[in-house]
Amino acid sequence: MIRLQGVTKTYQTPAGDFPALRGIDLEIPAGQLVAVVGRSGSGKSTLLNMVAGIDRPSAGSVAVGGTPIQQLGHDRLAAWRGRTVGIVFQFFQLLPTLTVAENVMLPMDFCGTVPARERRKRALDLLTRVEVAEQADKLPSALSGGQQQRVAIARSLANDPPVILADEPTGNLDSTTSEAIFRLFGDLARDGKTVVIVTHEREAVSGAVRTVTLADGRVAS
Amino acid sequence: MMAPRWRKAIRDIGERPGRSLLAVIAMAAGVSALGAMVFKYAILHPVLSNMYSDTRPASATLFTDGADDALLDSVRTVAGVADAEYRPMILARARVGADEWVPAILYVIRDFDHQRMDTFRPNDGAWPPAKGDVLLERSAVSVARARNGESLTLRTPGGDDHPLRVAGTVHAPGLAPAWMEHVVYGFVPWDSPVRGGGETAQVRIVVADHPLDEGYIRETADRVKALIERGGHAVTRVDVPAPGRHPHAAQMDTFMYLVGAFGILSFLLSAVLVASMIHGLLTEQLRQVGIMKAIGATTRQIAGIYLGQVALLAAASLLVGVPLGLLVGRSYARFSAGILNANITRTPFPLWALVLIVVTGVVVPLLVALVPVFRASRITVREALSDDLGPRPFGSSRFERMLAGITWLPRPLMLSLRTTFLRRGRLALTVGNLAVGGAVFIAALNVAGAWNRSVVQDFANRRYDLTVRLAERQSVDELGAALATLPSVAHAEFWPGATAYLVGANGVAGSPVPLLGLDPGSKLLALPLTAGRWLRPGDSTGVVVNAGMLALTPSLGVGDTLRLRLEGRTISFAVVGAVKEMAPMPVVYAPAGAVLEATGQSRDLSRVIRVVTREHTEAAQLAAAGEIERKFETIGFEVAGIQRMLDVRKGILDHLVIILTILTMAATIVVFVGGLALTSTLTINVVQRTREIGILSAIGATPRTISGHVWFEGVLIGVLSWFVAILLAAPVSWVLESVTGRMFFKAPLDFYMSPGAAGIWLVLVVVLASLSSFYPAWRAARLTVREAISHA
Repeated sequence: MIRLQGVTKTYQTPAGDFPALRGIDLEIPAGQLVAVVGRSGSGKSTLLNMVAGIDRPSAGSVAVGGTPIQQLGHDRLAAWRGRTVGIVFQFFQLLPTLTVAENVMLPMDFCGTVPARERRKRALDLLTRVEVAEQADKLPSALSGGQQQRVAIARSLANDPPVILADEPTGNLDSTTSEAIFRLFGDLARDGKTVVIVTHEREAVSGAVRTVTLADGRVAS
Repeated sequence: MMAPRWRKAIRDIGERPGRSLLAVIAMAAGVSALGAMVFKYAILHPVLSNMYSDTRPASATLFTDGADDALLDSVRTVAGVADAEYRPMILARARVGADEWVPAILYVIRDFDHQRMDTFRPNDGAWPPAKGDVLLERSAVSVARARNGESLTLRTPGGDDHPLRVAGTVHAPGLAPAWMEHVVYGFVPWDSPVRGGGETAQVRIVVADHPLDEGYIRETADRVKALIERGGHAVTRVDVPAPGRHPHAAQMDTFMYLVGAFGILSFLLSAVLVASMIHGLLTEQLRQVGIMKAIGATTRQIAGIYLGQVALLAAASLLVGVPLGLLVGRSYARFSAGILNANITRTPFPLWALVLIVVTGVVVPLLVALVPVFRASRITVREALSDDLGPRPFGSSRFERMLAGITWLPRPLMLSLRTTFLRRGRLALTVGNLAVGGAVFIAALNVAGAWNRSVVQDFANRRYDLTVRLAERQSVDELGAALATLPSVAHAEFWPGATAYLVGANGVAGSPVPLLGLDPGSKLLALPLTAGRWLRPGDSTGVVVNAGMLALTPSLGVGDTLRLRLEGRTISFAVVGAVKEMAPMPVVYAPAGAVLEATGQSRDLSRVIRVVTREHTEAAQLAAAGEIERKFETIGFEVAGIQRMLDVRKGILDHLVIILTILTMAATIVVFVGGLALTSTLTINVVQRTREIGILSAIGATPRTISGHVWFEGVLIGVLSWFVAILLAAPVSWVLESVTGRMFFKAPLDFYMSPGAAGIWLVLVVVLASLSSFYPAWRAARLTVREAISHA
């Protein structure tokens, strides 16, 4: 489902070239929950960005669901991402001027995957699934961090993408909430989604089928 | 149900009410400036176009020594003549004070209710006037200093005084406003007691076809002239005014030019400001752009959201700007109408103007927003979500390293100075906006100064204080002797003059041209030469022409031959020089001997005297005029008029009021937009430096220190803009001084930069910068450390 072949990413910085990824070869089958762990600066987020099409490799190739994403143009990539990949960020990144339900409806609006009149119902269904349906008409600022992350997960499922990518999804949450969030990701994987979670909480990802450890831009284990 | 992205567009506007309000005000200022210009044009243009043509203006006026009904009937049968009217005119004087007289032009009307041409309407009071009445043109009431029911003494040629009752006022739209010309226009009935000598008979004609073709009008007038002469009457002059042009058409053109130019300038500046604000807004929203792209939004969808916001803000600005523009446009149209002696009548609402303003008010902000919106919308998700979204690090350019070398300033000021120059694109926009406002402000004062100086200098070049016109030619010796007895008179000269007609290449006499003769050695006229030389003793056919003459015949130059028709003869003069003078009419200066010879006048007789008074104040001129009046009355010389040069100068300077009003209005709008630009820039800077402000607070900076930083930044930008404004003001002033000079005087005003204007603007710009920085400084001072540090 997700295939990285010889992926290298080098950033040019004022201090010189910085290699974030060095020849990564990785395959993640569909429906697996994979945890990517490593120290700060090991290349975890860069790896996730490559899979999401947020960044492009300096060398090598990335294919998701058979699509070589580095070959897609800017706008086609955005449309592809909206339909294929759901992204969950560490700081939730909900749009502050939209209500919880509207935040979940927004990807459907952009990608046109769900008829307009059915979007709110689907948003409420998703919010029910992540247990925050009663917050649907509130603004994100009225929610706790855990609740916001649940909304972010619901938003990532809006277009029913086969792949969910989460970048430090519990980095801003307490341990009890973190456990609940990880359980939610486990449920998604059981439902057939391919879930890749970048985290530094190795132990917390109890449901992970596989753990990929990165060190200095390489797969250590 | 509205899609979430459009809800976001709307709610984002409400999320930052201060900045949204600023954007709306900026756009509204531009729309109202544009609206004022367009509405003024839409309201005034049809009024002015119809106003003059509705009076059925005479195509030509023939000055004769008399006419009767039979002659008029014959004139009406001349080929090309649609209608003819006999309207005698009396050049009189109106007494406005004990020894004070002003020129008066009285038109004798046969039938007030059946006017054939150059029509006028009752304004108030009696209609038609009785035998002993006079109706004043409404703009002449202030000049005559007489109101309805009061008596006005009119001295007619011959020296008879006629106390007439001011029975009412009329509106004669074809006449220039009397207060501006300093002349009393009056209308008297056919049996008025003022008649009976000294009348100038005028036959006015309206041509049947080609009413705007001056050549055709002249040909027709020539046929009428021949007919009148065959009837035994002399025709002394034929006037053909510019066809279809109101006497103040040149002024109208100047107003339109100035108002139009500033309306467009203000609108464009506000558009630039909007672009700058949108850029600031998008800089703040970049992270959200990244998130939306991460969840599937395309560049076009993102751009749509922000262009939608711009359209909404523009629509809101129209709600404010259009009514304001309409209000200002209407008021300004009314003001201009007053200046042009016009009435604003009820006309259908100019829908086309509304449509134009609405479309421009929405389309232009969208156009200027296109670049920043698409630039922001094209950002990649990684760039948008990265933590180093701010400007590039300080110190990456040589200039910044140079700034970093300035270490002797207090540290907080150093920080403000460096921050100001960090975002140089936005700084340039703000400085540019403010500088244009400043340049217009300074230019307004410069134009006023240039106008004032040019007129004062021009009158300084005419070193006489009074022009005395007599009803009849009198002995120069006797006049000189009489004047010598007056203690207030220092010197007098007698300049012969005549109205000549310019002979064109086809040999046909055309426009009337005043020909003035003076002693080449005279010290009373010292006009600055623009080409060639002044008259010399011994010149017999050499003449000097003014700028008005060169404007009338652009091909004429020094060394050319000028042919004038005088007393039925064509005389050739050699142009030896050209002078600049602040007078729109053409004048030819020739040696007195040449004029006397050409006109057949005697050197021993004169009817025009240039008088130099011992003192040159207004009171001295007034006193001398009174003395001359009484002296000449005693010895039986009838005075036709005395013109005080300070009065004439004041009349010309009165026109300045209008120019200044327009420039001040324009500068106010532009300065206002500039102030908004500064507020906007400072607000955006505060938002973008929120973290920095938090850090400053955390390490001990007080709210006062932080707001002081913002204030200093504002003042620094203001002072920077002041330097640029000084540089910009010079070309702007030059253009305005040149254009307004040419429109009014057929010659550019002397370039002038007012030394005080730059100083006044410096003070104003510091005040403006302080006011503009108030809100951002207040906002910065209110931020808590926690809010500032957690700002994403």
